Amino acid sequence: MDLTDTIELPTTSPDTVPVGAGLSIFDPVFLGIDEFGQPVYLPMIYRNILIGGEPGAGKSSLLNTIVGHAALCPDVRLCLLDGKQVELGLWEDACDVFVGPDLNHAIRTLRRAQTVMDNRYTFLKARRRRKIGPNDLFGQILVACDEIAYFSATAGDKKDQELFAALLRDIVARGRAVGIIVAAATQRPSSDIIPTSLRDIFAWRFAGRCTTDVSSDIVLGHGWAARGFSSNTIDPNNQGAGYLISEGGIPALVKAAYMTDADIIRVADYAAWTRRQSGLTTTAERHATTDIKAAA
Amino acid sequence: MSKSTSRSPFGWSNRGGNVTVIEAPVARSYRRRATIAFWVTLGVVGLLAATVASHYLHPILGALLGGVIGVAVGAVVFALIVAWPVLRVFWHWLTEIVLGLVAVYGWNALMQSTPLWGSLLIVALVVGVPAAIGPVRRRIVAWIWCLVVRHRLRMCFAAFIATNRSGSLPLILLARPTPAGERVWVWLRPGLSLRDLEQDGQVQKLAVACWANEVRVMRASRKYAALIRVDITRREPLAAKVLSPLPDYVPTDVPANAPTSPGMPPVGLDLPDVPDEPVTAPTDTPRPRKPRNPTTTTSPSDGFDPSDYA
Ligand SMILES: Nc1ncnc2c1ncn2[C@@H]1O[C@H](COP(=O)(O)OP(=O)(O)O)[C@@H](O)[C@H]1O
Ligand SMILES: [Mg+2]
Repeated sequence: MDLTDTIELPTTSPDTVPVGAGLSIFDPVFLGIDEFGQPVYLPMIYRNILIGGEPGAGKSSLLNTIVGHAALCPDVRLCLLDGKQVELGLWEDACDVFVGPDLNHAIRTLRRAQTVMDNRYTFLKARRRRKIGPNDLFGQILVACDEIAYFSATAGDKKDQELFAALLRDIVARGRAVGIIVAAATQRPSSDIIPTSLRDIFAWRFAGRCTTDVSSDIVLGHGWAARGFSSNTIDPNNQGAGYLISEGGIPALVKAAYMTDADIIRVADYAAWTRRQSGLTTTAERHATTDIKAAA
Repeated sequence: MSKSTSRSPFGWSNRGGNVTVIEAPVARSYRRRATIAFWVTLGVVGLLAATVASHYLHPILGALLGGVIGVAVGAVVFALIVAWPVLRVFWHWLTEIVLGLVAVYGWNALMQSTPLWGSLLIVALVVGVPAAIGPVRRRIVAWIWCLVVRHRLRMCFAAFIATNRSGSLPLILLARPTPAGERVWVWLRPGLSLRDLEQDGQVQKLAVACWANEVRVMRASRKYAALIRVDITRREPLAAKVLSPLPDYVPTDVPANAPTSPGMPPVGLDLPDVPDEPVTAPTDTPRPRKPRNPTTTTSPSDGFDPSDYA
């Protein structure tokens, strides 16, 4: 046993041992800087985030930053849902499930996540525990969804849309303690787009520039605009700036960090490489599904 | 009669009517406070000292000694309190005074130990090198702003922020430069709260007084409501692009073995390539749908409104 270990390590990787980046989802995510120039870190474990704002506010970029952090964490699996395909598509090779504009696939994926969640809770209960910790038996799962509106209000029929919203709400509501994290972005999370019962259970909020005070309040929660926190005041040319509600509970003006496409591709390639080496991504299965899709 | 009662040695009037603490001139109010402090100190210290001393001396001698010690300590306290308005000014300007003394004495010492050209050279180096190096200069300017801001804030507190009945001002604690301006911690005294500072127009007045763009006040501690933070913004740090540090985690020598997803032929990329089909139920769902539902869209290419997803 000792012998195989010492033999195996050098043979699989002569000089490029695919070590992970040493990040953990238990570390807070570097989100950007606040209006005083201080760095802002966002703890994502046991949390969920809702990102809102007008088109071009920088929602997808912020989502990419969160996904990028998770991709570099060796024990986080990625479920990416993106009706626009290109926003999270650069991570396709690093993620476990990539859902394009396909509501049925999205529902199937959320069902899978829900089953995993139930199994994990059963397991924890059997072990008389209430939540997972770092270096636990199983890793965490990040469910990132760009443009929820596509799945919950545009594609498919009403029943499927409601099913999608219900599944997502269940995962947001119950996924916390077993390490299933949801990061979702949409332009205006009003009740005709996503049910308010889903919107109101996201703990962290980020409101990029909004066109009206009301839209800002829809993202941040009622009453913040009246207290002087309206993302309508943000300069439209200052993309990536927005109000963030996190640990303090009070909106803070922040500027999100930005990754250029080249940066994302570099990080994604590295993540895909380390994940393939450690057997984290199920590449074969994923290519099989894309083949089926192409054939259909 | 009323004159003599209001000038009683205990510093207060026992006729109630003329206790006018706020209107009293500052010096008189301090003398009154000092008198009270003198008598209290004399009583407490004198009693204690007399008790201790009578263990070692004759009780009468001990009592006398206690009285003497009490008077001495009381006098010191009295002097401190009477001189406090002056001492406080020294304390507020301590940094400037120390810097000034260092400059004067340093210059003197330099002149004595080196010839004139040597001293001039050293001064030119000490002043010129930090002024020439950008980051050092900016750091020093930021620190100078911190000093300035503390004086400006103190002036604001004295001038227009509501104070309590005895007129004690908030304590201005540390100031620190931030990329946007300065951050000052303030300890509020009884009679004042964060709400008073948040009132309409107060922070704007602070911003004007600090020659700043914007001032924000918020709590600095979850434990103490008295500890607040004043953030003074002069520059706009959010305008610049913030680069994510995530690429730094990636080693530079990653082999180019990234898998590429299956390629796609450039078909159906323009409007004429996509036929105008009637809206039907989705073909890939097992259950039948009502075909007359007008909102049903099958593929993203025909029901897709790009302005929705920009
Ligand atoms: N944090 C940021 N810093 C600088 N520029 C940004 C930032 N976020 C977004 N941008 C710019 O804004 C554009 C639109 O951002 P995107 O994330 O696609 O917006 P949304 O998804 O809200 O429509 C990006 O192409 C980028 O140029
Ligand atoms: Mg987007």
